[in-house]
Amino acid sequence: MTTVAGHAGLSRKHFVVQPSLLQQMWTSRADYLYVLPAIVVMLVVIAYPIYYTIDLSFFKTPPGLQLRDKIFVGVDNYTSILSSEVFWRVTLNTVIWTVASTLIAFVLGFGSALALHRDFAGRAVLRAILIIPWVISAVAASYIWKWMYHSDFGLIGAVLVQLGIVDTQPNFIDNIYSVLPSLIVVNIWREFPFAMIMMMAGLQTVPEQLLRAARVDGASAWQRFWHITLPHMAGVSTVTILLLAVANFNSFIIPWIMTGGGPSNASHIWITHIYELAFGRQRWGVAAAYSVLLFIILMSLGYFYVRALSANEKKEQGA
Amino acid sequence: MTSASQISRPRSRKGVDGWRWTGRFFLVFMILYTAIPMVWMLLTSIKSGFAAMQFPPQWWPSEPTLASYQKLLDPQNSVGQDFLRFFWNSLFVSVCTTILAVLVAVPAAYAFSRFRFPGRRFLFFAVLLRNMFPAVIFLVPLFILMRVLGLVNTHGSLILTYLTFGLPLAIWLLKGFYDNIPIQLEQAARIDGATRFQAFLLIVTPLSVPGIIATAIYSFIGAWNEYIYAATFLTKNDQLTLPVGIQRFFSENTTDFPGLMAASFIMSVPVVVLFLVLQKYFVRALTEGAVKH
Repeated sequence: MTTVAGHAGLSRKHFVVQPSLLQQMWTSRADYLYVLPAIVVMLVVIAYPIYYTIDLSFFKTPPGLQLRDKIFVGVDNYTSILSSEVFWRVTLNTVIWTVASTLIAFVLGFGSALALHRDFAGRAVLRAILIIPWVISAVAASYIWKWMYHSDFGLIGAVLVQLGIVDTQPNFIDNIYSVLPSLIVVNIWREFPFAMIMMMAGLQTVPEQLLRAARVDGASAWQRFWHITLPHMAGVSTVTILLLAVANFNSFIIPWIMTGGGPSNASHIWITHIYELAFGRQRWGVAAAYSVLLFIILMSLGYFYVRALSANEKKEQGA
Repeated sequence: MTSASQISRPRSRKGVDGWRWTGRFFLVFMILYTAIPMVWMLLTSIKSGFAAMQFPPQWWPSEPTLASYQKLLDPQNSVGQDFLRFFWNSLFVSVCTTILAVLVAVPAAYAFSRFRFPGRRFLFFAVLLRNMFPAVIFLVPLFILMRVLGLVNTHGSLILTYLTFGLPLAIWLLKGFYDNIPIQLEQAARIDGATRFQAFLLIVTPLSVPGIIATAIYSFIGAWNEYIYAATFLTKNDQLTLPVGIQRFFSENTTDFPGLMAASFIMSVPVVVLFLVLQKYFVRALTEGAVKH
């Protein structure tokens, strides 16, 4: 709303005659000075690496990363990825990891936001406690949970044994079947607070009058939630889910610190796999080719992200 | 909210109560899920190494001891020396990153919020898109770049890279704040003879202090917790930041769980305290960009 007013106020001169793009750019040359520092930093540390990664993916580079000795190999790096069995294993893991983490974190976050929406004594304290996991370092979180899952002295196993649910300490993260779910639990632990904060803010925008009117008309709690709250939350939910999905797709620290991708690749996801290929096995070309593929996937995700954000922005300007 | 709940009281008690109980059970579950690992970290950190390695575990430490903390914070022994240096390195890198991020993000966010220069939308989304890409994609080329710039094994390499991943978020958060500051204030200042830059610096900047605080907290926490660049760019032991330092240290002492938990706790203290003290700004900033009031 304010932006529309600003538009008319600060740059009315632009509308007197329709100037060409270059003229427009020249008139607003001072504006660019404000964004210049940010753009320069971005260019150096983003555009250059992207160009470099694409370049590297068509070469075979020796382990020490001596760039003079690289050999052009065409698309060999790409074909070797797509034909390897590990690739499909890792891709499946990544899909499970991303989808499960995102959906469960979102549901838990939304649920917590709803449960904390109504004012009650101690609400602020509970909210603060629930947010803490998101603030602390992922490295610390990984070690805390690694200790919780410890195969001899871990708390979770000990409780299960004491309750008589299992006979011996289960081995959560050294087992190819339970490792991925166990790590997802840790990831959700760190991420649901983000969804909670976003959804709490979203809940504030649901008009109270509407809910009250519906209540007067005899709508049940569920009907009010389904027909009033939920539609109002659509925009925030889209942005939250997208941000969570991207963050989960990009996660590295939790699997890397807790298992390093093992046992036998059962907890390798794309990012940890790329890291291992590059800095572990020094297969720079293959790692770069992986990065380019990842890049393409993220760009398509990014398309939806930008669309969701612009939809929000348009709504704001239309209002 | 309070007024609404008072009004609702006489009506449809049964249905509402059912949902309210569901909400309470759910909250209890979430609190347990959230708090148990943190409580267990604290309890383990005050046990001796022997007491931590027992089955069934000591639910409550029988002989609580602060030995692990003393070891980590004592500058006299080698462990404490390393740990304190890591702590100092983390602090230095995080503070530098925060200051630079705010300095660069403030004018950029203001411009994105107020000015209508061609390419503004494109540039804004280009900046946002940076957030989508994982550090790993940038690692190899950035490593080469740092080698060219002679920044490998310096804190400069970390500050420069942290700046880039901190900036998009900072710009996005601050833009949300500027969008909500009425433009009439600047227009009034302009009529009174202020230049555009004066209006920005003297009128808008003081009003956006909450946003700047929030942005600073985010940059600080992001830099404090960062692991992957630090693990790649730094190899010398005396340069390491806390996350990497702790990892290196405990890959050698794999069974010292009380020490590990104490280190995790100390590493979490600055960010958690910062968050608790400035919670209001923190939560508001994140949601300002996504939700329009």
